Amino acid sequence: MKLVGRAWVFDDDINTDLLYPAACFRLPVEERPALTMSANRPGWSREVRPGDLLVAGTNFGTGSSRPAADNLKALGVAGVVAESINGLFFRNAINTGLPVLEAPGVRAFVREGTRVEIDLDTGAIRSEGRTLNVRPLPGFLARILAEGGILPRLRKEGYID
Amino acid sequence: MSRPQTQIERTLSLHATEAPGRPVEPEEFVEVEVDRLVLLDMAATHPEFLAHLPRRVHRPERVAWVFDHLVPAPTVELASGLVKLRELAARWGITSVFDIGRGGISHPLMAEKGWVRPGEILANTDSHTCAAGALGCAGRGVGMLEVMSILSTGRTWFRVGETVRASLSGHLAPGVAGKDVFLSLAGEFGAIPGRNIEFAGDGIAGLPIPTRQAIATMCAEISAEFALFPPDARALDYVRARVPADEPLAPVRADPDASYAAEWRVDLSGVEPLVALPNRVARNVRLVSEVAGVTITRAVVGSCANGTIEDLEAVANVLRGRRVHPGVVFTVTPTTSDVMAEAARRGLIDTIVAAGALVTSPTCGACFGGHMGVLGDGEVCVTSTTRNFQGRMGSPNAKIYLASSATVAASAVAGCLADPRGLEGKRP
Ligand code: SF4
Repeated sequence: MKLVGRAWVFDDDINTDLLYPAACFRLPVEERPALTMSANRPGWSREVRPGDLLVAGTNFGTGSSRPAADNLKALGVAGVVAESINGLFFRNAINTGLPVLEAPGVRAFVREGTRVEIDLDTGAIRSEGRTLNVRPLPGFLARILAEGGILPRLRKEGYID
Repeated sequence: MSRPQTQIERTLSLHATEAPGRPVEPEEFVEVEVDRLVLLDMAATHPEFLAHLPRRVHRPERVAWVFDHLVPAPTVELASGLVKLRELAARWGITSVFDIGRGGISHPLMAEKGWVRPGEILANTDSHTCAAGALGCAGRGVGMLEVMSILSTGRTWFRVGETVRASLSGHLAPGVAGKDVFLSLAGEFGAIPGRNIEFAGDGIAGLPIPTRQAIATMCAEISAEFALFPPDARALDYVRARVPADEPLAPVRADPDASYAAEWRVDLSGVEPLVALPNRVARNVRLVSEVAGVTITRAVVGSCANGTIEDLEAVANVLRGRRVHPGVVFTVTPTTSDVMAEAARRGLIDTIVAAGALVTSPTCGACFGGHMGVLGDGEVCVTSTTRNFQGRMGSPNAKIYLASSATVAASAVAGCLADPRGLEGKRP
């Protein structure tokens, strides 16, 4: 799977309370994405465009099990690449069909606003004529992503309606 | 010779769906059988769950449903969600439903009810499921979508992470708690996304189970995958007292020659009361004495990490014969109904209420900014809950300091961040 888009760059420790504030639980599902990053970067949820990519520092998605990746997906974010990613956020992202990749070195490699190309299967990240090579996404996770997340798979296997 | 295994490697290896018992290695992905599964009331708020219900549930007798985040329900919508969940539990044959007034916060509750067993794999939606590691159980928060998959199949996957060993020696000084031990690790070593942590060393024997639970629970805040204590005599005694006699335990230990990615050493005798400054936990920790005097408006004791009988005792010991500062609202939330009953029996609730603090029913409410006392604009809170993220407990314009329950109580009395040492009458 290949992703190409404009990069938004965030720092270390972007947590799930920033991605999916508690106020979301009291709102209808369609109103939740507008609150994404409202505490740390007010207005961002209106500026981000479908197909944009999110680049971040270490420990991205630290925090709770809330479906934080859903907000990013609903805003049209095409994928997240970060220096390191919290395991629970990583799993939630794959399961909801949001591409994610751990890429040590990516925070300094990408400048905000530039066009970035990410090849999840080879681990090659291209930006401004340079390439950063990281460990690709393991095949079985790439397959869940390709199927659109875990629910389509469970439906196909007859576990859910 | 097969590769020596760490405690978590051995646990995952024994649960593998293919070639169980074959040694596993870091970076490998392993599919495993899950021993027990915990669902929460938050299921009702998940955008996909109620719309795509599993057709049937794998081993419903191994599934518990705990109502902890949204209790007592603060809105009509959430109350209606709980109604649906009760119906679903009945339809699926899930009889272990821990409803309002008969349960508490899932992580300590599951341990209290004998659902956390050494050597087992426990899955729960919630991130602090690593709490189960206090009893040598491989607990992991996996999120709602994965829980839907486990409900259907009884299986999940884990990436085997590298493991850090934290060797504890010495004894905690009076007024110093498990929370301080965790904060010292988080402050010095920072976050370890993708890695596990295993505790070792002769300092463990002296740590009561609630202290271990506080430490293991908080390891979610350094993004650890699993956080395991060895199943020593104290842990086994705790579990055996809660599990039917005819159900054998199968504790798992690390091989003595297992290799670790890093070795952290902590002399418990040297740990002092610590506080995480607002907005992040890892590498954001100071001595309480360095920030003493910062004015606070709110003080909170509670959460899956720090609402145990040990915490309520520490609070009561500080409050006995003292008053909560007039400029501070202090709320104290026991983790479970049983803890609340025990605290009442011991007179701790009397002491806390007499000092001018509010004791609430067991709930996650304030910890995640859901209800039961959210923070307003400009408030400054010191809390023994789990997270100090911006906006976590209410307004994004509030500040949250994270500390032990004793430090929170001392600060509530002083009206500003304060060191609890010397105030605490006696240690439990
Ligand atoms: S007490 Fe707080 S951290 Fe623990 S499970 Fe509840 S909301 Fe999560």
